[in-house]
Amino acid sequence: MSSRRSRSRQSTGSRITDDQIIDLVSKLQQLIPELRGRRSDKVSASKVLQETCNYIRNLHREVDGLSDRLSQLLASTETDSDQAAIIRSLIME
Amino acid sequence: MASSIPGPDTCPEFKRRKRRITDDSLASSHSHQRNQRVKRWRTQREQHFYSSKLIQALHRSRRTSAKEVHETAYRVLAVLAKGTTRWSRAILTARKMTKHKRAKVASSTRWRRPAINGEKRKTPVVQKKLQALGRLVPGCRKLSFTNLLEETSDYIAALEMQVRAMTAITELLAGGGPQPPADRLASNVNS
Repeated sequence: MSSRRSRSRQSTGSRITDDQIIDLVSKLQQLIPELRGRRSDKVSASKVLQETCNYIRNLHREVDGLSDRLSQLLASTETDSDQAAIIRSLIME
Repeated sequence: MASSIPGPDTCPEFKRRKRRITDDSLASSHSHQRNQRVKRWRTQREQHFYSSKLIQALHRSRRTSAKEVHETAYRVLAVLAKGTTRWSRAILTARKMTKHKRAKVASSTRWRRPAINGEKRKTPVVQKKLQALGRLVPGCRKLSFTNLLEETSDYIAALEMQVRAMTAITELLAGGGPQPPADRLASNVNS
């Protein structure tokens, strides 16, 4: 894959070719679970970008939710499993 | 100089460096970095490392409000990036910035046109979405298209790892309770 980057000198300059854009957008597409495995000529750049934004927002929300949950668990004594107690005591001291 | 090293068996980066100008050697070392970066955030080992760093940090701070957990989770994540990405540096500097500085920086970038992309035929729709993406990834509001996409892919991988790690910690704390991890977050790479 790295050998195809012979034209990448343009990425540091000011002109980006259309091919490069198409290439980058399809690479981005592979990262988005929604769009992975769909043919890249069937998905427009705009859709890829939109889904990327949505995906990142979802991830942010998940992290928020997990932070909430984690802080609740750290504060509570709702479980009595040994593992939980150990970890909690390690954190809370 | 690279020419002292024998020829055709060396890795392609060397050959390119011999023949061409500095721009290209920069690009080829970038591509090498890029390949390494693809694996980044996706191994079990890294996730475990992050988890232990996160737990340590929470232990040190002793304050475990949701906000504190949230900030710590992002800070530890950014530290793990070791300054190699813009988003991670932005997260760490944002912590240190006073309100005054933050306002100053914000105003100096507001009047600047965000599209210094060397755009060729990017429709306004795509342009708008690029801007939206730039706002979502920390510190990436006025990046070129290429750099923005590179930062985005790293950021997404890091976020996914963060979610996996925090989910696992939460499950442990809940006594191995049944919190179903999202299927789509299964590791892409076998560690």
